[in-house]
Amino acid sequence: MEVLTVEHLSFTYPQASSPALEDVGFGLAPGEFVTLCGATGSGKSTLLRLLKRELSPRGEQSGRILLCGEPADSLPPRQAARTVGFVMQQPEQQLVTDRVWHELAFGLENLGLPRELIARRVAETAGYFGIADWYDREVDTLSGGQKQLLCLAAAVAMQPALLLLDEPTARLDPIAASAFFDTLRRLNRDLSVTVLLSEHRLEQALPLSDRMLVLEGGRLREDGAPRRVIPRLAGSPALLRAMPAAARMGAALGAAECPLTVREGRKWLGRHCIPPAGGTDSSAAPAVNPDAPAAPAARSSASAPAAAPGACAPAGFSGARRESAALELREVWFRYEKQAPDVLRGLSLTVRQGEIFCVLGGNGSGKTTALGVAAGLLRPYGGGVRVFGRRLRAYPGQSLYRGCLALLPQDVQTVFLRNTVREELADAGTDASALPFDLGRLLDRHPYDLSGGEQQLLALARVLASSPRLLLLDEPTKGLDAGARENLIGILRDLRNAGMTVVAVTHDVDFAALCADRCALFFRGQTVSEGTPEAFFSENRFYTTAASRITRGYFDRVVTVEQAIARCAACLRREAADADD
Amino acid sequence: MSLASCNPAVAAVCLLSAAGIAMFCMNPVILALSLCGAVCFSLLCGRAGEGRWHLFVALLFVATALVNPLVSHRGATVLLVVNHTPLTLESLLWGISAAAAVAAALCWFRAFSRLMTGDRLLWLFGRFSPRLSLVLSMAFRFVPLFGRQAKKIRQTQRALGALREDSAAGSFRGSARVFSVLLTWALENGIVTADSMAARGYGSGRRTQFSVFRFRRADGVLLALALLFFAGACIPLACGALDTVYYPRAALPRLTPAALTGYVSYGLLALLPAAAEGWEAIRWKCLRSSI
Repeated sequence: MEVLTVEHLSFTYPQASSPALEDVGFGLAPGEFVTLCGATGSGKSTLLRLLKRELSPRGEQSGRILLCGEPADSLPPRQAARTVGFVMQQPEQQLVTDRVWHELAFGLENLGLPRELIARRVAETAGYFGIADWYDREVDTLSGGQKQLLCLAAAVAMQPALLLLDEPTARLDPIAASAFFDTLRRLNRDLSVTVLLSEHRLEQALPLSDRMLVLEGGRLREDGAPRRVIPRLAGSPALLRAMPAAARMGAALGAAECPLTVREGRKWLGRHCIPPAGGTDSSAAPAVNPDAPAAPAARSSASAPAAAPGACAPAGFSGARRESAALELREVWFRYEKQAPDVLRGLSLTVRQGEIFCVLGGNGSGKTTALGVAAGLLRPYGGGVRVFGRRLRAYPGQSLYRGCLALLPQDVQTVFLRNTVREELADAGTDASALPFDLGRLLDRHPYDLSGGEQQLLALARVLASSPRLLLLDEPTKGLDAGARENLIGILRDLRNAGMTVVAVTHDVDFAALCADRCALFFRGQTVSEGTPEAFFSENRFYTTAASRITRGYFDRVVTVEQAIARCAACLRREAADADD
Repeated sequence: MSLASCNPAVAAVCLLSAAGIAMFCMNPVILALSLCGAVCFSLLCGRAGEGRWHLFVALLFVATALVNPLVSHRGATVLLVVNHTPLTLESLLWGISAAAAVAAALCWFRAFSRLMTGDRLLWLFGRFSPRLSLVLSMAFRFVPLFGRQAKKIRQTQRALGALREDSAAGSFRGSARVFSVLLTWALENGIVTADSMAARGYGSGRRTQFSVFRFRRADGVLLALALLFFAGACIPLACGALDTVYYPRAALPRLTPAALTGYVSYGLLALLPAAAEGWEAIRWKCLRSSI
């Protein structure tokens, strides 16, 4: 019997002109792992919430939802709550209580289970998830990844038959996201929990999935094994952009069964392109057609040297060496408290005017702290910070934040003050027409009702209102889908071309590869390497893009999927020509 | 076993009964015992930064003791006359007793607040109402959460150039702005929390309460001792056997058997937390030396 059956499900929000979901039908067999894909606004969250009775949005609904063969509406409340577990995007706000053990017990307490049973379930769950070490801790002392694992554990402690996850890793860094997916896979394999997951981060989700469902405009467009479905998406670049790098290459080059992981991608490349020559030595490998385009058009503008920045040099400043430096950190030492360890240990960094500079690095490597120091929010105890050649102290009062430097924080909701986008822009002293991007259709919405990508743009609009020459961004792509990310990259490039300097701190290697003019890697409060994305990512072994990992040894200095596809296509063309001869 | 590791209810009874009696009695012997017990306990579970606290209590003690004779001139025994105002012995004695009462109460409540962490208080109140316990648990989490978010908002708004902190009016407006952003954030994110609660069956019926605390035999022993000593001190106190007169002439109550029982009982009660702590330390030492 199917765990979940959805028949002809349609749903329309009140006062909406068109339905959010239209005639959606599918079933989930016990133990299946299914990923739900689709662009923002395609109805993923609506569908998931309709399947969880307690969270069903209000609106007009038709069709049937069966849980374990019974209509979902007819189940008694406790059974309904127990049968379906739900994990949302925000790790922080999902937690209810102050202690880890209480959070695990919360759902079981609500079900009115006897204390002995709760004790057993909580202990078992804590053991399985490896939570026993932090069982007594306050939830506020946990990292984001630990919080999200705790949310998952708290849902699983209730022993649901079906687990629904609404973009659970969107706010996590890559390492924490991997740990989350590992746990999810283990749950699915060991306990045969049925999983329905919506996600932007398909690189890791799809290889785990038995099936994928693709929603487009509220309709179920595809339903099937990822390897077979992805080639059918070749006509929709917007959907394809979110797929794993290996699958995008496979789809673009006409593979019948798409590779999904880096390993499969390399295998596929080995069969269809030239086999790797001489192990890891990449200099021996590129027996590639020398006529092949060195880089697709998308990159060529980005790798060009910065546009003439002379116009935005500070008045009254002369000094040839520093003229090109927008931001300079020299031997900066910083710690948050007297007893705490150093976060920045002699950090030196120079950002030239008119470039996009991406800072990468693991959690706790000091990336965000470095931004705070650069923005004058945190004061280092050693070393110096110069913005456009002047010390931070030389900017009296608010002058640093007026027309010179702006910081877009990681949590963009700390920016919003007003009830509508229009008021928000007015408060910042700007309006929609003055922006380099379009917010026109959002003007009357509440900032919190916007999608992650739209919130990011609104916050960016507020920050740009002071017309800064140096823009600092903290994790600008966190929680964005592939389309919103592409959009943001375009905007940042436009700003750069107009003479602005952009420094972005990010975990997102694909973003850095597509967008940066130069990248730096932080480790323990220092820069350990620095260079153009091509050089930087092809020299890195772990901290690099999937495209680079797939093509390593086959092609040289390939960083983005577009580059990889272009090189492969050229290689395949040549092979075809050889075959014709 | 120490109070930190015993059942929260037992720890609360021990500390509150010791503190409570000393608050309703101005008998110098009781107050001296109370202060002695509180300071011993606080020294035994001392941590870094404790020295400063003790210095603060000592200074407060001296100040309180000296202020009373300066403002109150009751009492028959005049020690000296300054500027035509008499300073009396009785007034000084009353001042010292009051100072001891304040210092002891401070020490007891500091120990209480340090021992009764959020989860232990919660367990205590949860006995009465699971719902109250949940509300408290959420409050314990949200208060620091809001504090941290407010800090983040302040930094963001500062970097936006929206805070002008060079004047009082400007910094007030800035705080209002931060508060307004925080309020919206809290309301909007409260929805997520409410969803998360509903998703886990909150409101689907009567809740049970789970806790990690148990009531062991040692807890029973400690509780029985505390209650016994409490009764032993309470009854003489209620009968007036411990009543002390300060004015016009200071005099201790007569040392009747009742008063003696009161002193001994209270002495044991006040030293119970420190004794429990000391017992634990000694037992560890023995265990370690036998390994």
